[in-house]
Amino acid sequence: MKIRSLAAAAFGTAVAFAATAQAQAPFADVGRQPPISILINSSPWFAGFEKTVELYEKQTGNKVALDVTPFGGMLEKARNAVRGANSPYDILNIDTQWTIEFYEGGTLTPFDEIDPAFALPREVLTYQDSNYWNAAKRWRTRDGGKLMGYSPNGNIHVLYYRGDLVKAAGLQPPKTWDDVAAICEKAGKPPEMYGFVTRGERGNGIRFDWMPFMIGAGADIVKAPADGDYTVTINSPAAKTALDRYVGLMKRCAPPNHGVLGQGDLIQLLSTGKALQGMAVIAAWPSFEDRTKSAVVGKMDAAPVPSFPGGKPGVVIGNWHFVVPKNLPAEKKKAALAFSRWFLTAGAQREYALGGGIPVRSDTFSSDLATRPEFRWMKAYGDSQPFARQELGFAEGAQVEQVLGLRLNQALIGELSTGKALNMAAAEIEELLKRNGRRTGRLANLPE
Amino acid sequence: MNRGLAERFDGTFRHWSLWPCLGVLVALSVYPVLQLVPMAFSTLEIVGGQQTWSFTPRRNLELLLGDAVLRDSISNTLVFVVVSVAFEMVLGLFCAIFIACMPRWRGTARTIMILPILLPPVAIGSMWKLMYNYDFGLFNQMLRAVGIAPANFLGSVDWSLMAVVAVDVWHWTPLVFLILFAAVESLPQDVLEAARIDGASMWQTIRLVILPLLGPALAVAALFRAIAAFKAFDQVYLLTSGGPGTSTELISLHLNRVFFEQNQLGYGAMLSLTVICMIAASLSAGRFAAAKR
Repeated sequence: MKIRSLAAAAFGTAVAFAATAQAQAPFADVGRQPPISILINSSPWFAGFEKTVELYEKQTGNKVALDVTPFGGMLEKARNAVRGANSPYDILNIDTQWTIEFYEGGTLTPFDEIDPAFALPREVLTYQDSNYWNAAKRWRTRDGGKLMGYSPNGNIHVLYYRGDLVKAAGLQPPKTWDDVAAICEKAGKPPEMYGFVTRGERGNGIRFDWMPFMIGAGADIVKAPADGDYTVTINSPAAKTALDRYVGLMKRCAPPNHGVLGQGDLIQLLSTGKALQGMAVIAAWPSFEDRTKSAVVGKMDAAPVPSFPGGKPGVVIGNWHFVVPKNLPAEKKKAALAFSRWFLTAGAQREYALGGGIPVRSDTFSSDLATRPEFRWMKAYGDSQPFARQELGFAEGAQVEQVLGLRLNQALIGELSTGKALNMAAAEIEELLKRNGRRTGRLANLPE
Repeated sequence: MNRGLAERFDGTFRHWSLWPCLGVLVALSVYPVLQLVPMAFSTLEIVGGQQTWSFTPRRNLELLLGDAVLRDSISNTLVFVVVSVAFEMVLGLFCAIFIACMPRWRGTARTIMILPILLPPVAIGSMWKLMYNYDFGLFNQMLRAVGIAPANFLGSVDWSLMAVVAVDVWHWTPLVFLILFAAVESLPQDVLEAARIDGASMWQTIRLVILPLLGPALAVAALFRAIAAFKAFDQVYLLTSGGPGTSTELISLHLNRVFFEQNQLGYGAMLSLTVICMIAASLSAGRFAAAKR
């Protein structure tokens, strides 16, 4: 509750600064800089980023090389870059669950070491401070933490739904999971039109896409990691409610291959008009409005992630982080920071949004863009922010994701009951936390 | 150069000319494998920009023995190797004999046959993933066209491993064909002629003459394919990433997961060492069985 209030206050304050920021110079003058290279993932928001980089090159004359890499290769390229004598990249883009490894490894340069005067503009969203690192506390917080980077993309889930069809069926936009199920029942016509889709593939896909159910049901993976209490709570009755709901919806409304549905499949089903509702990251939006790729241009609407009856939406943050490796010459680090300063200006963020990116400045969401039909996702994104939270913000996050990614998938495909899957996950997570010397334990087993 | 010196040079040249190759082999193969040994008994971490090694053999061994996914990945790998190599050998042999017997167009048929080997595995994985797609894939469109319910090729625990095997068979049967086709082409014609004069039927000629003569080529093809199938990674990674559940999790995928996704370098090294030992034991057992026969 405290975290939610803080997040709401932070987002509100950031929006309040919007008017002031709009009056400031839209772009920063960063002068001539040496060429830089950026390791960036090929994602639905890449097109917007690429256009923004082109504008940077045009405005400043500075050169930026982009190494566009699929998600699967990003982590290894980033690791290899920071472990060598000289990083081939001046900016790395790392996913939120990888940040701890890089922060703890000491392989990145805190921004104040490049320029002690550098500060993020107040309007820039920090997604629960995942871009700060407090080494003594081993936790991502600005409280005693150093600024390690910033988000070029603040992915959160939203619920996409076919506004035209929901309206035609005389139904209201979905607010709860019960609404989603009701719309699926009434307006879904599989296999021509699946009622609801989200990712079910083993690994990061199912782990990330199940979390809105988990958070919404009031469940947690571990009790209070920020305070050092790593008691595993993933096998709680609330988590079982969340998993039962997720599995039930997928079995009733998604295609029969729900156990292997990945991000590409999900976007394909939604953009070809084969799915009525789908939960996906906000970065997927440009795919639905692109006339060359989508059959549903102007027909898709977005809403905050549904909640359980009487509850709040469970919004999990999956943001990326632009960071600067330690093994770089000083002038390259400065050039990376110069690009960052420019990229985070109101003008650049506006261009980023116009190009199809998801901006990370709150003033973009309160600008005139938000009233344009093509940016109708902005309201859902803004309304979700107060509930958004980070998960797996500890060193064992990657391993915990592997455990959950497998056991949740086994529950979805019917290899394990939901109770057994959560019990097994809890035992395995407890074991790996114990091995790392964490203060841990776990709840009593659920009925299997 | 006097004659004695030239002879001595010739005598030793074959020895010292090997040294550069040996150096490369030691640097790129032997040393990394040896390096795995201390790594397998340690925990490696990068803290404060420095790599730290701590000696933790018991921890890594416990991880190995308690790794439930490893057991699934070993059994999946064995099924994958046995089924895919068996199909590739049978189909490769059939195609080799059939095309060798063609009176015309042999060159064209051989060229068409080897096309799949020329394609990069990434392209093959993507292509087959599209063809297997439940809603939009070619196979299910064909099934729907003839009134059959679509099949859940990659999303079903019962089908997924065989769907992955089918792609491997499509990709690598041409290699077996190529090896066996060369062997069939070089079969002694007088022996085949003698079989024909003796009144052997086609089936008798294949079973009693051609197959025994092809024995060494068959063994080489089977060995090559078995080793490669044991290491299969790219296509499976693209098609299923080991899922659903652990139904297509092969050892190579599990190793990748431990090493690169979980960043457990020490345990990953122990897993690698275990796999190397398993392959070495299988090869030794095969050689021992062949020698006994």
